[in-house]
Amino acid sequence: MNWFLWRQHRKQFLVFGILLALFAALLIPTGIQYWHTYQQALTNCAQHPAVYSCDDLTDTLFTSQADGFVRIAVVLGTFGLPILVGLFIGSPLLAKEYEEGTNKLAWTQTISRRKWLTTKLAWALGFALLYGILLTILVTWWSNTINTIALNRFVQGHFETQGLMPVAYSVFFTAIGFTTGAWFRKTLLALAITFAVFVVCMVSFANWIRPLYMTPVTVTAPMGPNDLGGKIPTGAWVLRRDIVDKNGKTLNGDIFFVAPPECQQIIQQADVRGNGHGGIRVKAVPSPNGGDPIDDCLNKAGFHQIAKYQPSYRYWEFQEIESGIYLGMTAVAVATTYWLVLKRDA
Amino acid sequence: MGIAIQTKDLGKRYGSFWALENCDIIVPEGSVSALVGPNGAGKSTLLKLLIGLSTASSGQSQVLGKQPRQHGDFLADIGYLAQEIPLYKSLNAADHIAMGKHLNERWDEEFIRKRLEDLKIPLDRPVGKLSGGQRAQVALALALAKKPKLLLLDEPVAALDPLARHDFLSSLAQAVAEGGLTVVMSSHLLADLERVSDHVIVLAAGKTQLCDDVESVLKSHKLLVGPREHAKNLGDGISVIHETHTAKQSTFLVRTGKGAKLTAHWQRHEPNIEEIILAYMGQAKEGEAQ
Repeated sequence: MNWFLWRQHRKQFLVFGILLALFAALLIPTGIQYWHTYQQALTNCAQHPAVYSCDDLTDTLFTSQADGFVRIAVVLGTFGLPILVGLFIGSPLLAKEYEEGTNKLAWTQTISRRKWLTTKLAWALGFALLYGILLTILVTWWSNTINTIALNRFVQGHFETQGLMPVAYSVFFTAIGFTTGAWFRKTLLALAITFAVFVVCMVSFANWIRPLYMTPVTVTAPMGPNDLGGKIPTGAWVLRRDIVDKNGKTLNGDIFFVAPPECQQIIQQADVRGNGHGGIRVKAVPSPNGGDPIDDCLNKAGFHQIAKYQPSYRYWEFQEIESGIYLGMTAVAVATTYWLVLKRDA
Repeated sequence: MGIAIQTKDLGKRYGSFWALENCDIIVPEGSVSALVGPNGAGKSTLLKLLIGLSTASSGQSQVLGKQPRQHGDFLADIGYLAQEIPLYKSLNAADHIAMGKHLNERWDEEFIRKRLEDLKIPLDRPVGKLSGGQRAQVALALALAKKPKLLLLDEPVAALDPLARHDFLSSLAQAVAEGGLTVVMSSHLLADLERVSDHVIVLAAGKTQLCDDVESVLKSHKLLVGPREHAKNLGDGISVIHETHTAKQSTFLVRTGKGAKLTAHWQRHEPNIEEIILAYMGQAKEGEAQ
């Protein structure tokens, strides 16, 4: 059975091997180069603090158009390869057999349907696991420089492309591929549904599910340009930043309309002077104590800023929780596949 | 002679539709049975139940003394050829031979290689690029290389041209002649079956209409032709399978039991197996229409 599976799927495995090799051909040289560039910049700014600043490396390094392409390629590749494994290893695994009737050929040899299925699933999941591991080693290594500079691995596009997640996606979408294949028995339909599940998962986890894994840390600050930012540690995943009134109600839209009359007056004056159009971050006449008169007025009226964030040290806990969820969903998918294949007629 | 297949009240339901109902058949060991019936009669359903690809909704079946199930113990002695003759299109015949070797405990490598060589089927070409006749031959050879005691064939010649059909049936006849093999083969091409089979099962409208060896079927059926005015009076111990009437003349195809007595008005003829089978199919069709 193992020999036959290898014979049957070796072309697919080969294609995926080539794709990974091409990806490595992009990542290994740029990864080395990025690290050297970063080290060079650190040396430069330490030796010539007058010429180079060590603080704004995020803004100055890897900002060329070519670097932009490399980053896009990395994100696309790391999102793309696991779902491609799901689509082209997972979806056809059973669907193609049903579609072409070859399941009837296989199931009438001297082998139980259960053993046949177990072998197929083990190969597909094993391949997905290995592929995910190689991919994440490559990308997590490559991301080292960027992580060091940007200090944020939490945001969408970074969280999903490093650590445990590429492995979880590769395995889960392969499982979804063969489950939908066993269910609908049409390769194209299984492919389409697997892709739809991928899109739904990516969007819903990043926006609605992931923020809920742990209660976020809440900080408040008075109105003012830098007061809140200073309280959020670097590398944190900021979920929301809002202005709230004295009753704790979150502000939607322009603060002008809810501000007390004395503040509205100051804002209006500032608008006239600064040509602003109702925004709150316009330059105003400095107040006697040196602060922004608008902020001072709003603070007096009880307005303040609030932020909720997940601190960066929770990164690995989040990775474990999310990959745990995917592992659980994979187990459900595998169990469903066994039921579909063994209990239904050929 | 032993019994290769026996079913009792075997039935298969899809939703509320019974594809096969109350099917009782007995297939003796060593026979070549023709499983005939119109499209949708339940032939494929019956064969799938017998090989364990489907599970029965009602009744029982014993195949080579075992209940059909998806397990090597059961499958080892049975060869099966599905209607669409499924093969892995991108793999070549040599790959299929290797597959058979890996997936079967009993495997006659020498036999299948020699057979495909005799048939001049290229081993190194993807089977998707072979002709329909060659694919059918590869599939049959794969089924035979298992050295099965029972071979279940689901309309294997339906898609083949007359020459390929002839070759296929010769191959089958040759395998049967080597002995020890029971064959059940479905088709709606009666003439082909007549050539190779010695036992006949007629399925129509999801039910067994007839299951017997060809010789006794021929012996027990008569074609009666006579004046229509006597149509009500055929004799004793006779059951009518099919009747046709013109203004003055009536024709009956009847099954005669032991000690059947015919009244004198009727001319007797010996129907051939094709006429008998058609009569049973016609009967089922009329039954359905009523």
